[in-house]
Amino acid sequence: MYYAGIDIGSLTAEAVIVKDGKVVAARIMNVFPNPVDSAREVMGRALKSAGIGAGDISSAISTGYGRDQVQAAGMAQENVSEISCHGYGAFCVDPSVRTVIDIGGQDAKVIKMDGSGKLMNFVMNDKCAAGTGHFLEVMSRTLGVGLEELGPLALESKKPVLMSNRCTIYVETEVIHYLQRGVSRKDVAAGISRAMAERVVALARRVRPEPKVMLTGGVAKNTAVRAELEKILGARMERPSLDPQLIGAYGAAMLAAKGAAS
Amino acid sequence: MIAIGCDVGSLFAKAVVMDGDKLLASRIARTTGNVASELEDLLSAVVSDAGASRNKVERLVATGAGADLVPGADLCEDGVACVAAAAAYYLPDVQLAIDIGGQSITALLLDPDGDVVNFMRNDKCASGSGRFLEMMSEKLNLDVSEVDRETAAAKGPVELTAQCGVFAESEVITHVNAGASRPDVMAGVCAAVAKIVVAQGRRFGSAGHYTLTGGVARTQAVTRIIRQKLPGTFHQFPFDPQLAAAIGAALLADTD
Repeated sequence: MYYAGIDIGSLTAEAVIVKDGKVVAARIMNVFPNPVDSAREVMGRALKSAGIGAGDISSAISTGYGRDQVQAAGMAQENVSEISCHGYGAFCVDPSVRTVIDIGGQDAKVIKMDGSGKLMNFVMNDKCAAGTGHFLEVMSRTLGVGLEELGPLALESKKPVLMSNRCTIYVETEVIHYLQRGVSRKDVAAGISRAMAERVVALARRVRPEPKVMLTGGVAKNTAVRAELEKILGARMERPSLDPQLIGAYGAAMLAAKGAAS
Repeated sequence: MIAIGCDVGSLFAKAVVMDGDKLLASRIARTTGNVASELEDLLSAVVSDAGASRNKVERLVATGAGADLVPGADLCEDGVACVAAAAAYYLPDVQLAIDIGGQSITALLLDPDGDVVNFMRNDKCASGSGRFLEMMSEKLNLDVSEVDRETAAAKGPVELTAQCGVFAESEVITHVNAGASRPDVMAGVCAAVAKIVVAQGRRFGSAGHYTLTGGVARTQAVTRIIRQKLPGTFHQFPFDPQLAAAIGAALLADTD
């Protein structure tokens, strides 16, 4: 029995097909203006990859920004919020995980699940750039290093600087001042990583995270921020074994399978 | 008594020479790298503008975040006390002063004697600050001094939904790319700044008689909207509002 999850975001669309709890096909693409067109295309690609037809899917769940329209178009039997799908997807990847920290380019979410992977609570910051990927983008630009170099550079530091501000704009000024005073870039990079982690922890504390956390989103690739998060939060930051971008669609597919089983 | 008040803020240093309550000269300079030597130049220039010599100056009072950098200061006064002193002296009816500086918005509640009863400062977030206004203007290739002229041509200000300066900057770019005119985008920025200032002003309840000080209060495209949205009676600070803390510092030279 095949089950499918379709996740239509604002930038990318994903489709995942599972069979017996295992991923048999997964596709990611950039969205079209119309979410139904995106769903049709990305699902078509996943079906082709699995070597099956639409009629072979027992049931499908849509999620993400266009989930209502995708269901209305008859491509999914149900639609579920991206938070629930993300949490359930993380739980299915590693059933010992109860907390997910997802840090994207423009927002940060902390999701808490119960022992069955069901959503218990979540908090989100999309109001303030501090503690989102945007913060790191601004800082790496100011430091004059690539975003992917920021983590390794910070890990070289033995004397991280202290940032006294939270606001991205003010921290940027602090970074400039440190550089003007001749502080090494690695020490500034380490200070940036710590400031970033502190904002994320302040958000995460609001849902009382469990000691084992799954870290997803683009910022999960930053090794220094990950290490700081572990230090400040006193929790282990697990890296998912599945491409983090697919977790929402995977969670939707697994929810479809679970719904059919119950 | 001839006194100098010098206010070193996050973006600008302001210096005034006062004879009692009369303003003899004023200067405003952007601080960049070597603040100590920039302040030295600023003080010499303002004393010379006043037609005085440095030895005629009886007291030099410093204030602002960089007060400790002012060379030869006789006294350092808190910024809140300075804004309060200036507002209370020239505008005795005023109960609330909202100071909008480069990196902070401060609402000060004054009693009839001009003493500060309470104040609230947001310096955690750049939203609505002078830096915010400057960043958005820069994105539109405008100097803050050109904002009033630019927004006069606005037909339908755009709406900015983000409070965060970083996200607001992206919104500004989105509006420009969508074809909104520069006056309409800039007017939208001014409305966003005004909204944040009004929210800060309202935290003490009814505004009553109020005034606006700090660098952002120079931009009428912002203050006009604040005056529409903030209930109460507005009192215009009689000098350049960016000088309020420096003037207050000079006034406080006489009190000790």
